Amino acid sequence: MFSIIYVEQQVAEHPRTQAICARFPKAARVSCDRYGEIFNPNAQDFRLQKRRPSLILAHKHHRRVLEAPHGYGLGGHRNYYFSHLLNCLYDCRYCFLQGMYRSAHYVLYVNYEDFGTDIDTTLATADNKPCWFFSGYDCDSLAMEPVSAFVQYFLPFFSRRPLAHIELRTKSTQIRTLLKQTPLDNAVIAFSFTPEEVYRALEHKVPTVERRLQAMLQLQQAGWQLGLRFDPLIYQPDYQVQYRTLFRKLFSQLNSQQLHSVSLGTFRLPRGFFRNIVQLYPDEPLFAGTFSDTQGMISYPQPLEQEMTEFCTREILQHIPESLLYPCTLAS
Amino acid sequence: MINLVVALPAEARPLIEFYRLTEKTTIGSFRVYRHQDMSLVISGPGKIAAAAATALLAGNNTSAKQAAWLNVGVAGHATYAIGKSLLAHRITDQATGQSWYPPQLFDLTTTTACLLTVDAPENSYHQEVAYDMEASGFYAVAGRFSSHELVQCFKVVSDNREQSAATLTAASCSRLVTEKLDEIEQLVGALLAMVQDYNSWHAPHAGLEQLASHWHFTVSQQHQLAELARRWKVLMPQQPLWLEGLEKKRNASAVLHCLRQQLDSLTPAVTQETPASRV
Ligand code: SF4
Repeated sequence: MFSIIYVEQQVAEHPRTQAICARFPKAARVSCDRYGEIFNPNAQDFRLQKRRPSLILAHKHHRRVLEAPHGYGLGGHRNYYFSHLLNCLYDCRYCFLQGMYRSAHYVLYVNYEDFGTDIDTTLATADNKPCWFFSGYDCDSLAMEPVSAFVQYFLPFFSRRPLAHIELRTKSTQIRTLLKQTPLDNAVIAFSFTPEEVYRALEHKVPTVERRLQAMLQLQQAGWQLGLRFDPLIYQPDYQVQYRTLFRKLFSQLNSQQLHSVSLGTFRLPRGFFRNIVQLYPDEPLFAGTFSDTQGMISYPQPLEQEMTEFCTREILQHIPESLLYPCTLAS
Repeated sequence: MINLVVALPAEARPLIEFYRLTEKTTIGSFRVYRHQDMSLVISGPGKIAAAAATALLAGNNTSAKQAAWLNVGVAGHATYAIGKSLLAHRITDQATGQSWYPPQLFDLTTTTACLLTVDAPENSYHQEVAYDMEASGFYAVAGRFSSHELVQCFKVVSDNREQSAATLTAASCSRLVTEKLDEIEQLVGALLAMVQDYNSWHAPHAGLEQLASHWHFTVSQQHQLAELARRWKVLMPQQPLWLEGLEKKRNASAVLHCLRQQLDSLTPAVTQETPASRV
């Protein structure tokens, strides 16, 4: 999988580093002072690197737990995110990571224990009120599980902290670790979907819609709380037919009574990220349409955005009660 | 386009013959050899010479397209056998401590290794790395002109703890490079394919020049025009960048308005056909 693993000297002896390197005995191990030497230089091409990203093992020093952007969340007031991993195994063309990072290498912060300490510190300031921690912000929460053992570490951690809720957001079918554990009341496994046609055009290397649905069914049967994320909604001339078909497929098989939440939001990107992505993929039809720029956020023109949101909301509400639906606002 | 930067004539000779780089010129004190989409410069030893030779080739490239870059040469190594080849996955300048990490995206059999650029010949081989005298100068400059994935260093081990560099001759340098021509050819092929993809993704619409010669576009309007031409190329790849009646438009802003209106009237599908090399 990796021909090169870059290792920060600081984490060279870390047990997680050792375990990960042992999984890839043929990979060249290249030491560095700070991962930024590899990840941050300007003259890099994310698109080229996506052909064969390497793994970087690093230590996360500061800002490990951050407040989630306004509009991100599931109704709770205290929303935070933490990223043990930067970048994703998959290659969705609409993904904001392409616009945010110069490098497509995966940065895995191995000091999970420090993330745990910071989560506890955050909880301590919350006056015994529930907090949400979102883990799939800068990566897919499950896709790299066989390498990262992230879920394996953090589920027991969250099981001992009932006021801390975790969302694992994913398009992956790596659910083995979850199936081995007792489901947690304070964990939601949220799967993202776009219609079949959009999936084929834009979600490269992602498991098929059907395989993701099968993974959800297994988890639901095992008792896990599940979420559905239709974010971003992608416009197609026949988007109504496509989304209606998708919703019917998912809701007809999943037990809607057992769903934790459903959220949706139209395609939107901060202006700078959008520009970077267009530079990388000038030939991508997704970016050749008409967009509006509202306060630095690029999105579909407002009437179209509203039409799509209203249509999808109407369709979804035919399957679930309104209390489960969370629209993601433009600001997120 | 690929540029080869080589320190010594003896290292360059096998490459010049293999790639039939028959067009020879001398620029300043540098000999440059060319054929079709390949140039080779003989820099002379040392990182400053390598940096200067790299800058010279870069300056000679008048096209907006990116070029791939390859530094080829012999290197010392503490333990690697003489004749073993390597591709540098880390280049460190010993004098400054600065490192570069050429991304390794190729599916090649060549071993990758750390390369330490030293200012004077290394005879004690303290570290388990390859030693050369050019790579950091080459990389620091080439990396300013091309994306780092397109800039690579390929070395053949010429000396080690067992056999010092004192035994090296011009003939043995040439032989070491000659024996690795197959590997070099594979690497050159991979780099050329990559740079071709890169340049084809970023090629401007062929009709842009025609428009720019008809009307005067300010710098800001040129950016807008380039953006509209990009969308045009995706949405109407078969159609020339032109509209009926466009010739009657008085100025650049009317032209931009017209093109934008046309593009905004289309409802693109993300599933529409585009070239296979898109991903
Ligand atoms: S799965 Fe999510 S994080 Fe991964 S590439 Fe797709 S959008 Fe980005």
